[in-house]
Amino acid sequence: MLTRLYGGHVVDPVNGVDGVGDLYFEDGRIVAPPEGRSADVEHDVSGHIVMAGAIDIHSHIAGGGVNTARLLLPEAHRAHRPRPANTPLSTAGWSTFETGRLYAQMGYTTVIEPAVSPHHALHAHLELADIPIIDKGFLTVLGNEDFLLSAFRDGATQDSVVDYIGATLEATRAIGVKCVNAGGVDAFKQNIRHFSLDDVVPEYGLSSREIFQTLQRAVNATKIRHPLHLHMNNLGLPGNVETALATIDSSQGLPLHLAHVQFYAYGTEGKNGFSSAAARFAEKINANKNVTVDVGQVMFADIVTISSDVMKQFNSLPGGRPKKGVIFDGDSNGLGVVPYSYRVSDFFNAVQWAAGLELFLLCDDPMQVFFTTDHPNGAPFTTYPEVFALLMSADKRAQYCSRLPADVLELTNLPALKREYSFYEIATMTRAAPRKLYGFEDRGQLGAGSVADIAVYKPQPDKAAMFRSAAYVFKDGNLVVRDGKVSHYTKGRTLRVRPEYDRKINSRLDKYYDGLYGLPRSLFEVQDAALPNADAFAEVPCRS
Amino acid sequence: MSNATLDGKSISSEDAYEKAAEILQAANFPLVAGLGADVAGAQAAILLAERLRGAFDHLASRDSLADLEVVRSAGIFVTTPNEARVRADLVLLVGPGLTGYWPAIFDRLALDKETVHGGKTARRVIWVGPKRGEAKIDGVEVETIPATEAELPGVLAALRARVGGRPVALPAAAAKKLDAAAEALKSARFGVAVWSAAGLDSLMVEMLQGMITELNATTRFTGVPIGGRGNATGVLQTSAWMTGFPPRTGFGRGYPEHDTWRFEASRLVESGEADAALWISAYSGEAPPWEDVDIPLITLGPPGSAPKHGLFIAVGKPGENYDAVEFAQETSSMVLRRASAPAELPTVAEAIAAISAKFSEDLPC
Ligand SMILES: [Zn+2]
Repeated sequence: MLTRLYGGHVVDPVNGVDGVGDLYFEDGRIVAPPEGRSADVEHDVSGHIVMAGAIDIHSHIAGGGVNTARLLLPEAHRAHRPRPANTPLSTAGWSTFETGRLYAQMGYTTVIEPAVSPHHALHAHLELADIPIIDKGFLTVLGNEDFLLSAFRDGATQDSVVDYIGATLEATRAIGVKCVNAGGVDAFKQNIRHFSLDDVVPEYGLSSREIFQTLQRAVNATKIRHPLHLHMNNLGLPGNVETALATIDSSQGLPLHLAHVQFYAYGTEGKNGFSSAAARFAEKINANKNVTVDVGQVMFADIVTISSDVMKQFNSLPGGRPKKGVIFDGDSNGLGVVPYSYRVSDFFNAVQWAAGLELFLLCDDPMQVFFTTDHPNGAPFTTYPEVFALLMSADKRAQYCSRLPADVLELTNLPALKREYSFYEIATMTRAAPRKLYGFEDRGQLGAGSVADIAVYKPQPDKAAMFRSAAYVFKDGNLVVRDGKVSHYTKGRTLRVRPEYDRKINSRLDKYYDGLYGLPRSLFEVQDAALPNADAFAEVPCRS
Repeated sequence: MSNATLDGKSISSEDAYEKAAEILQAANFPLVAGLGADVAGAQAAILLAERLRGAFDHLASRDSLADLEVVRSAGIFVTTPNEARVRADLVLLVGPGLTGYWPAIFDRLALDKETVHGGKTARRVIWVGPKRGEAKIDGVEVETIPATEAELPGVLAALRARVGGRPVALPAAAAKKLDAAAEALKSARFGVAVWSAAGLDSLMVEMLQGMITELNATTRFTGVPIGGRGNATGVLQTSAWMTGFPPRTGFGRGYPEHDTWRFEASRLVESGEADAALWISAYSGEAPPWEDVDIPLITLGPPGSAPKHGLFIAVGKPGENYDAVEFAQETSSMVLRRASAPAELPTVAEAIAAISAKFSEDLPC
C-alpha cells in the first residue's frame, strides 16, 4: 500500500531538506516519489511540520531501577480515567504500556534505556517487550566489575577486552556500553564515599581516569557505532565542572559520549558556593568535536532519581524528597533510587534549571548536544514539549526567569542568551544526531529506504502543545497516532549490536563464573526461550 | 487424556475451558488469586483480571508486602546473594526458619569459605533468634543471640539501640552479649543481614533496615531478603511494570487501584465482594486460604492438586514441566528455568489463553 503525505513542510536535516514537499512510503519504508503510480492513501498535511520519528538517546524506561521506583512511589502513578475499549492496561499510571503510548503521542519512535546491569538484562528485556509501538534498546553497564578491573590491572591485551565486551553485548543483547562513575561503584562497596577522576580503586590500583580511558579505547575497537557512554564522577557536586573539563581533556581524541552534563555544570561562586559553570563547559564542548553530550535538563517537578551511581545516590539520601530510597549493591554494579522534587523557589534547583538551558544555548552544534532530561532524573519525559518550547522562545525563558529567586539570575548567563532553536535544529538534535550517535542506518531521516517512522506536527503559537500532541505519527508506515491520541497499537523492535569477537573468551568467562559464583554463566544470559518476542530483535550494524 | 475435573469428576479440556469462561464472564467482580506462576503466566493472569474488571492477589503477598511496606515508608538497603558470597565478611542471620524458606542458603552464601573481594578473610556469622538446633552450619562457627519468636522484636530493637549507642534496659549479661554483637556489626567491612519476611513482620524488617541505615554512617552494611514462595518476587516485579502497583490491585473502576486491605484475596471472597475466583498455584498446588465459602472456583494447579469442589484444570509446573522465567533467589534476578521434566501440560499462560478464547465477543479484549 503506497501512502503519500502531501503539502507538509518537511524538516529532514540528514538530507538537507527544509521546505514544502511530499513524502511517500510503502511496506513500512520511505520510498522515492514513484513515477506513474498514484498513492492508495493520501493525507493532506499542508500547514504541518513533517519530521522523522524522534529518537531519545538516554531515558530510563525499563529494568530493575525503574521498576524499583514504581514500587517505592505508589503515589506517583495513580490513574484517573477508566480505560477505553480494546486497549489493555491503557490506564495504568507509570507502566510499560503508558511509556509506549506517551512517547508515541509526542512523535517519538525509538527510545534507548541507558543503564542495565548485565546480570539484570533479562528483566529489562521483559519490560522492553511490554512497551508498545516504539522501538527500543539498552546500554549495558561495564566498568566496575571485577572481571574487567582485574583484566585492566593485570595488563590484559585490548583484544581480550574487546572479546569480553563482545561476549557481554551478545549475552545481554544490548546496543552499546555505558560506564558509571568508573571504579567508584566498586570503591563504594569498600566504604569509599567520594571518588574523583584520579582516585584509585583499592585492590585494583586503577584510577577512574585509567578505567574509563581503557574501556573507551576498547569500545572503540569493537567497531560498535555507539562510543563509550560515560557517567562521570562527582555528579551533582558544587565545582564539578572541573571534573567534566578534565574528563574531556582525557578523552584521547576518540569518540566519547558524556551523559546528562547539566549535572556537571556547576561552579562554586556566590554565597551558596553553587553556581552555573555552563559557559566554561560549553566552550570546552565546542572545542572538542570528538565529544558528544546530552543535557539532562531539569524541570520543576516531582521526580525520582534512578542511577547506577550508587555512591552518589547514597549521598543523596538525606536530601531525598520525600526522604526514603533504595540502595542496591548489585553484582559488580550498583543502583540507587531516591525521590526528589525540583522547586522553582529552591536556589540550587533554579541554578540547575538555568545551567541546562545555558548548555543547550551555548553549545553551537546540535549534532553534538542531545536533548534529554535524563528521564526521570531531571524531569519526566512528558515535559519534553515544554523544554522544546523553552529552547524555541527567549520570551518563554524570560517568563520562567521572572519566577526564579533573584540571586540565581546573577549566577547564570541565561537571561543574556537570546538564541532560539529552529525546527531544523530541533530535528537535528532529536533525529539526525541520534542517528549518527547510535549508528542507525534505517532511521532518523526521511530519505528513501529509511523506516517509515514519521511525526507530523501542527504548528501553533504554543510550541509545547504542538510537540505534546503530534497530529499524525506513523510507525513502520502504520498510522499509530492521530491528533495526539494513539489510534493503533503495534509492537516495536528491540535494537541490538553484535560485534565480532573471539568466542574463546566464552570458556574463560564460564570458568570465571563457575569459580566465583559457583553458577553457570548461562543463568545470566538472555535466551530466546525467555522472551515473549524473540523475533522482535533487529541488529544495528557495526563499522566495517 | 483430560487433565480437568469438575467437582472431582473428569471432564474434557474443551468443556473445562468453556465452563471456566462462563464462570468468569458471569461474575460481577471476579478474583484472580494465588498467582503462583511464572512471569508469562502472571502477565496473562493480570491482563485477564483487567479485562474482567476484577482484582488480583498473590498467595504470598503478605510476605512481599511486609518488605515493600518498609521500602515505601523508609527505604531499604539490599544486595544480591552473590555479592554477599564474594564480599560479606559478616553475615547477620535474622529470625527462625531461614533454611526452610531458602534451603540452599548456606551453600549459596558460602559461609564456610573466605571472602573473595574487599580482602580475603574468614566470615563472622551471627544468628539472632534461630530455631532450636538450627544454627549449625558445617565448617562455620555461628554466634547466636537467642530469642523466641515473641522475644525477637525486642532483641532486634535492643541490638539496633546498641549499634546506635543508645541505652537498653537489659540484664548485664544480655547487654554485654548485644554490645559484642553491635561492635561486630560496626566493625564489619561489608556486612549483610539475611531475613525472610515470611518469618518477620514489617516492623521487624523496618527495625533491621533502620539499623542498617545507621551502620552505613561509618561502614558498609546491606541486606539479602529471602523472597516469598510461588515466585512472589517475580510476580511482584511483573505486576509493577504492568500496572505500576504490586498485587492486591483491582480494576473495578476501569483503572488499576492498589489497596493492601481492600484487594486481599481472602477478604474479597469472605466478604462476598468477589463472586467468582480463578486460583492459580502452579508450583505447589497450594489450596486457597479462604474457608467455608461457596463461590464458583476455578483452580489451575499441577496434576493431583484438584480440590473436591469446583473446576480444576491441570497445568505444568513452571521450570519443571515447561521452560519458564521466574525470579531466582540465588541471583536476585529474573532467570530462565529450562524444563527438567517436560510434560504434555499447558502452561499457565496457555490455560488462561484457552479460557479467554471462549469468552463471548461482547467482552473487550
Ligand atoms: Zn541516566
